[in-house]
Amino acid sequence: MFETVRDSIFSALFLAAILRVTTPILLPSLGALISDRAGVINIGLEGMMLVGAFTGVVVSAYAAPNFGPELAPWIGLISACGVSVSMALLLGLFHLRFKGDLILSGVAMNVLGSAATVAILYELTGNRGDSGDLASFQMPFIQLPAFINDIPLIGGFLYTVFNNQSVMTWLAFFSVFAVWFILYRTPFGMHVRAAGENPSAAESVGIRVTRVRYAALALSGLFAGFGGVHLSMGYLNLFQRDMTSGRGFIALATPLLGGNNPIGTGVASLVFGFFDALAIRIGSLQLPSMLPQMIPYIAVVMALVIYALQTRQLLRVRALRSVEGIHFDANYWRVVSRISVLHVLMAMIAVIGIIISISIFSAPDGFGGPEMAFPIGVIIGLASVAMIVINIPFISRVEQLTARGTMSAAVSAFSLTVYFGLFLSLFFDTIPAVLVALVLAFTVWLVLGGWRLLRGSSPGVAAAA
Amino acid sequence: MTPTPRRTTSPVPAVRLLAPLLAALFAIGVTLLITYRIFGGETLEAVMQAINERQTASNDFAAILLVNALVGVSVALFILQLRRVALRVTITVIVALVFGFIMTTMFNLDSANRFIRGEFRVGIVTEAEPVEDETADMEYGQARGDEFNRPGVREPISEASYTFAGRQGDLINVLAYAANRRTEVDLQVELIAPDGTSIGASNFATEEQLTQFDDLQSERDAIIQGITLPADGMYTIHARPQDLQTTTILGEAISSTRTAYEAFLLGSISRVNRWAVWIQDALTLILVGLSISIVFRARQFSLGAEGQLYFGALVSGAIALSGGSLPVWLVIPIALLAAMTAGFLWGLLPGILKAYLGANELVSTLMLNTIAVRFYELVLTFQLQPPEAGYTASADFPMSGQLPVIVANTQVTIAVFLVIIAVIAVWLLITRTPLGYEIRTVGSNLKFANYGGINTKRTIMLSLAVSGIVAGLAGAHLGMGIHRMLILNISLGLAFEGVVVALLARNNPLVIPFTGLLYAYLRSGAQFMERDANISFEIVRIIQAVIILLITAEALLAFVQNRRKLAAPAEPGKPTTTMETPRLIMESSAGEKKNV
Repeated sequence: MFETVRDSIFSALFLAAILRVTTPILLPSLGALISDRAGVINIGLEGMMLVGAFTGVVVSAYAAPNFGPELAPWIGLISACGVSVSMALLLGLFHLRFKGDLILSGVAMNVLGSAATVAILYELTGNRGDSGDLASFQMPFIQLPAFINDIPLIGGFLYTVFNNQSVMTWLAFFSVFAVWFILYRTPFGMHVRAAGENPSAAESVGIRVTRVRYAALALSGLFAGFGGVHLSMGYLNLFQRDMTSGRGFIALATPLLGGNNPIGTGVASLVFGFFDALAIRIGSLQLPSMLPQMIPYIAVVMALVIYALQTRQLLRVRALRSVEGIHFDANYWRVVSRISVLHVLMAMIAVIGIIISISIFSAPDGFGGPEMAFPIGVIIGLASVAMIVINIPFISRVEQLTARGTMSAAVSAFSLTVYFGLFLSLFFDTIPAVLVALVLAFTVWLVLGGWRLLRGSSPGVAAAA
Repeated sequence: MTPTPRRTTSPVPAVRLLAPLLAALFAIGVTLLITYRIFGGETLEAVMQAINERQTASNDFAAILLVNALVGVSVALFILQLRRVALRVTITVIVALVFGFIMTTMFNLDSANRFIRGEFRVGIVTEAEPVEDETADMEYGQARGDEFNRPGVREPISEASYTFAGRQGDLINVLAYAANRRTEVDLQVELIAPDGTSIGASNFATEEQLTQFDDLQSERDAIIQGITLPADGMYTIHARPQDLQTTTILGEAISSTRTAYEAFLLGSISRVNRWAVWIQDALTLILVGLSISIVFRARQFSLGAEGQLYFGALVSGAIALSGGSLPVWLVIPIALLAAMTAGFLWGLLPGILKAYLGANELVSTLMLNTIAVRFYELVLTFQLQPPEAGYTASADFPMSGQLPVIVANTQVTIAVFLVIIAVIAVWLLITRTPLGYEIRTVGSNLKFANYGGINTKRTIMLSLAVSGIVAGLAGAHLGMGIHRMLILNISLGLAFEGVVVALLARNNPLVIPFTGLLYAYLRSGAQFMERDANISFEIVRIIQAVIILLITAEALLAFVQNRRKLAAPAEPGKPTTTMETPRLIMESSAGEKKNV
């Protein structure tokens, strides 16, 4: 059964699936990014996506008799964006004009979006689950010209990945560059960044912060609308109650993981898309489907922690810079930071292991009965605890990393080998899997620059002493 | 600042007495009113008789009265604790309700449509001999019909014409009527002579005609009575629904909304069963609201109550189901304790993530909620569901695992007392313990708390974890008190409802019973509205969103308040009750606080 998963994961079709499921995360993530950069984080993305998804389906269904099936989805798209943008502006009104709490107003928007869509759906169709009764349309799918298939070597691969993707997917990936251009190459983008970075300074040089923030919120509403339309008119072809299932909240975390810039946000969304697609594929195994369904959400929590730690380490390194003066070795400290995030990541993966083992113990019948499940659960649980125990010293104190580089190297090599080995041994024979894992682990460790830690304590401190 | 306005602020003794007096009056009034209404609410004798019947049937009138008295006490606490702010809260809720009314009216704009849709018949009643004609649609004595504006049809019919062959001098009656009693279509009919001129029209039927012609059923039907045909030839009967007037549309919409709102606002106290639905829902909401209020006090925007609730329900449910080896009286206490522990631990996780690793608590709790729900589904589907069950749910809890009922045939259980204990405990925790002091200080000024020597990280972590205790209890109540089994989707976004409850109460634990009852009243009312008037339950969630918006929009309220102040200058020494809404700080790339 693992062979089928292996074949489906290492394939162009899987990449195509990643692109498809990344789109509804990427679009609102860009919205979150813009609003975040302007200093008015849009918590209401989830509600705005829902409203967009709903409006798109309903308007296209009602426009079709008059405008024809060709034009109807586009009319749906435009009205969906119109509605979600006005919702974003409503949020802006309550926060910027009436001085309402941004977060709570955002939560209110989510409640409003979820409730209003269901209420109106019920009024229109008498059904509160989905819009199956409405004749709905999908956004067009873009067919690539056939000659791409004939390009030697990569042609077939490219064709499989990019052919027959929704126009919204293309829009999403072009939006990454559009947002990058807006933020870094236009006066408006400058104003947005200034308004977020230091509103009073921006105000003092004549930027109308309030107006910029309204515009940023409107843009984020626009992207949320796009994302919603993709969900209901591309990914699926109907509206379902609460169909966003937390994507609007995941979108709040992606910019953090992506370093608060559009390109990084795109990459981070692809990571979440990968986990999403992986969850769908693993679902075909004989495992309870709930377990893989947790994966994307666990990934978000991990992303949050890693981001927060990175920020904190940045501050700590900045402090060191003043202590060590000219002896400060920036590269060395960058490596320290990277390796410590590596330790966090390895500990967090072990947390997933603990969750899996708890799940196995709580529902052994889902994993082939107690006789088969309990030993596996015990092994996974103990291994996870061990993994956390050996990694934790290097997370809490950077000094441990600099003072005991060799230990850190051994721990990271060991942990990485175990993880890679476990993953690979699902698909290949044990011995080659372990060997490949060992090589991979050392490659990762070398690429991250871990060898620099072998020297012991900070060169700057040593030199200063 | 302290959340509770001091009671000795009014300079005049008479004014100082006013609030307690008012509170006592309201408390007694509410208690009696609810009791009166749920036992019929007609005449005093009828109510007394209903109470007697209840007493002989199940002997629980005392319990009902006790619960109602507690509702009264919560009203009194609301007035005493919030004083003037209570007025503001009331106004907020009323404004939101008015908004909901307008929204419902908009949904009801189609309720006048029943006058233009439905099956109809057109008939000719006469004593004259029929005229044979193959090309005619109908002849004397016959009736034809169709359906106007049928919903879901691509091209609905909005008018119909039928031809018949007529003879000069025949005396005929032309009828247009609804096909059955349920149809309410309002018809008009017109008779057109062979030369194209209209020779008769009607849009109503009189009482007299209704008795004379059996086919006619209401005055909405139409009849052209006693018309003498002027010439031989092919006549046409033209029937269509009457045009709707704007006033008719609006009037119908408002009147059906009023019916709906009557169910909405009075449904919860119309009989004992519905009252019980309200009370049991309120118990859950009070617990969730308490949980949310603790984290809000520390200005942590955690919505983890949902996940903690699922864990509480799961753990307590598992114990209730398998508690066979335990002494019967011990099952419930152990299940409750386990639920609270589970909630605590599941709250500890985001607490640690926030306090020591700096992960944003809003996003992390929302993600952890989903993880908890999936875990709950996993265990429920593969472990607790009996193999023969047709749908995903556990077996019914044994009697030892159900909270004892205090009002017969309802789900009003001893959870009432648990909630009272929880309210007092949370109040003591917040106002009378070092941890409560730390939570309040962290919430009002994190930097000050740090300088003052408070271990802020520990406080933040504990605030999230302690709130989990109460949420876990709410989960246990849902499982052991209300459903008496574990079901899928045991909570659909109760954390968000808890936000409303906590915000309305200004995060004051003593006011939360009132706001929980109030909000549960609306929620259960909405259920009855959906059942009685076919208006979507989601209306109440729209109202919820409006309430949150209105409460947080401080400037909006300040605007109204300023106008009042202009009218009457404020007295010095009055307590200023500020909003205790939490502020979330999302860390930006620069790591600076972004809330302006």
